[in-house]
Amino acid sequence: MVMEFFRGGADRELEQIEKTIQQMLVDCRHTFDAAINALLGGTDPDLVEKDIRKTDRRVNKAEREVRRELVVHASVRGAQADIPMVLVSMSIVKDAERIGDYAKNIFDLARAGVDFSSSESGKKLLNDRDRISRLISETARIFGDRDAEAAHEILKSEDEHLEDYDNAVLAQIESSAAANVAVPMALLYRYFKRITAHSMNILTSLVMPLDRLDYYDEDKADRW
Amino acid sequence: MSTRETRRSWNVPTWVRFLYVFGLLYLFLVGVKALESGIKSFGSDFTDTLFANVSNPVAGLFVGILATVLVQSSSVSTSTIVGLVGAGTLSIPFAVPMIMGANIGTTVTNTLASLGFLRRSTEFKRAFAGATMHDFFNILAVALFLPLELATKFLSKSAEWLAGLLGANTSIQFENPDSPIKSAVKAPVAWFESIVERFTDNENAMGIALLVLGLALIFLALAYITKNMRLVMAGRIERSMNAVLSRGGGVPAILIGLLMTVAVQSSSITTSVLVPMIAAGVLTLENGFPVTLGANIGTTVTALLASLAADRPEALVIALTHTLFNVSGLVVFYPIPAIRRIPLILAQKLASVAEVRKSAVLVYVVGGFIVVPLLGILILN
Repeated sequence: MVMEFFRGGADRELEQIEKTIQQMLVDCRHTFDAAINALLGGTDPDLVEKDIRKTDRRVNKAEREVRRELVVHASVRGAQADIPMVLVSMSIVKDAERIGDYAKNIFDLARAGVDFSSSESGKKLLNDRDRISRLISETARIFGDRDAEAAHEILKSEDEHLEDYDNAVLAQIESSAAANVAVPMALLYRYFKRITAHSMNILTSLVMPLDRLDYYDEDKADRW
Repeated sequence: MSTRETRRSWNVPTWVRFLYVFGLLYLFLVGVKALESGIKSFGSDFTDTLFANVSNPVAGLFVGILATVLVQSSSVSTSTIVGLVGAGTLSIPFAVPMIMGANIGTTVTNTLASLGFLRRSTEFKRAFAGATMHDFFNILAVALFLPLELATKFLSKSAEWLAGLLGANTSIQFENPDSPIKSAVKAPVAWFESIVERFTDNENAMGIALLVLGLALIFLALAYITKNMRLVMAGRIERSMNAVLSRGGGVPAILIGLLMTVAVQSSSITTSVLVPMIAAGVLTLENGFPVTLGANIGTTVTALLASLAADRPEALVIALTHTLFNVSGLVVFYPIPAIRRIPLILAQKLASVAEVRKSAVLVYVVGGFIVVPLLGILILN
């Protein structure tokens, strides 16, 4: 512990916090992939449960660590602290943790016996799975690279899908399918929407001022 | 500007800052030398009168508290005391209670830092307890060691023995031969004296000019050393504090508190940094306490540095007494958990009262750090 004091290098504490958030997103993608494969790909939930719970605990622990480190940063630096960065990190670490939570909720559907591997909407669900998995992964990369241009592109393309997920939920409400199909399907689309929205929230930190973080869709001027 | 765009600031290279700090350290030592020379210029009658007022050790303790509260820095007050001892105008028995008082006085800074949380009761309670655990530790240490020192002189005799080991022999009646550091700091003081002599040959005027210069240099040099070193060391402090948070307190936390304080030359910075973390609940009192104890020892380095510029070996003795006093406090109050809890419990109890009755905070800060020492000095003299 004392050696921490003698460790050289420039002051990169906030960069370290960003790396932790990036790692959280990598873990979230891992949870999402494992969970959705238990629901759509026919993977036995028992085989992946331990891994999913362990990863979830790691994500939650990372969130607490980031918060602690942000308090330390603000306490130690005082007036020199990068307050906007502290505030934005506080916000996006919650988004990252929520992505993990929704991925775990998807697994809970599989754990409850839901299996969409032979569903009529199978192909669409697989496409959504691939898109969301890629979205989480890209969010981690773009966040790490601070690639504002790529963030704009993703925000633009994913904005359209949010509406699709809402429509899919509505379709389930209006459908005559049995409750044990319609309810989990509606929940799944709801989770898809939330994961997409939280990923987009993280990306807004690259392109939006702090006060409009998360509100990328309310002002035309913010839309490409 | 997006929220992820990093703030750009003008970054001074670290080696330039270190060079700057070395320059400031030199000015600090020149300040101690100037103070010492200034006091000597007044002659023995003046100093006898001045320090007759602190012949009572409790009055000396109160002088130490009040002086430190007024300058908001124990480094400044202890360096001044070392300068006075170095000039031969303040004897070690009178200086020891002042040094102990400085230890108590310095705790007011982080107590003031905790007032920032006054409006939020829960955080304030934690912050106030986090700040005042330092106060209680120092008060208990003084309550234990001041009578012991007065009865046995165990601290000052141990310090004298240690100083002897380091080559500073107080039984030799003449001034120490010049070390390279002393020679280096004498030159600018002599140069300043020659300038003042062009305007006046009055010894008292010379004394006042040297006193003002000395105190100004000590105060400014320490303030700028702290400011710069805080910037230079911020990353290391952040990493160290993160380590304390993730791995708990204990002896490593003491060492971290000590290193942080030596690096920034201010225990108040170290202890004040802990306050918001304790207020936020991310750092427990138990884990913050050893950092505070380390800071208490680390702050004694300033007086040791000041003794480098002093003529008489007694300066080193009083600086070492300061270190030994704080080390003794740690040895008595830290190892046994039941004893370690005493200052924490007292701080928590005071914080509980302060949470409910905010006026208690005012009574504690103003009464404890200003009114009581002031009345004490007036009554005891």
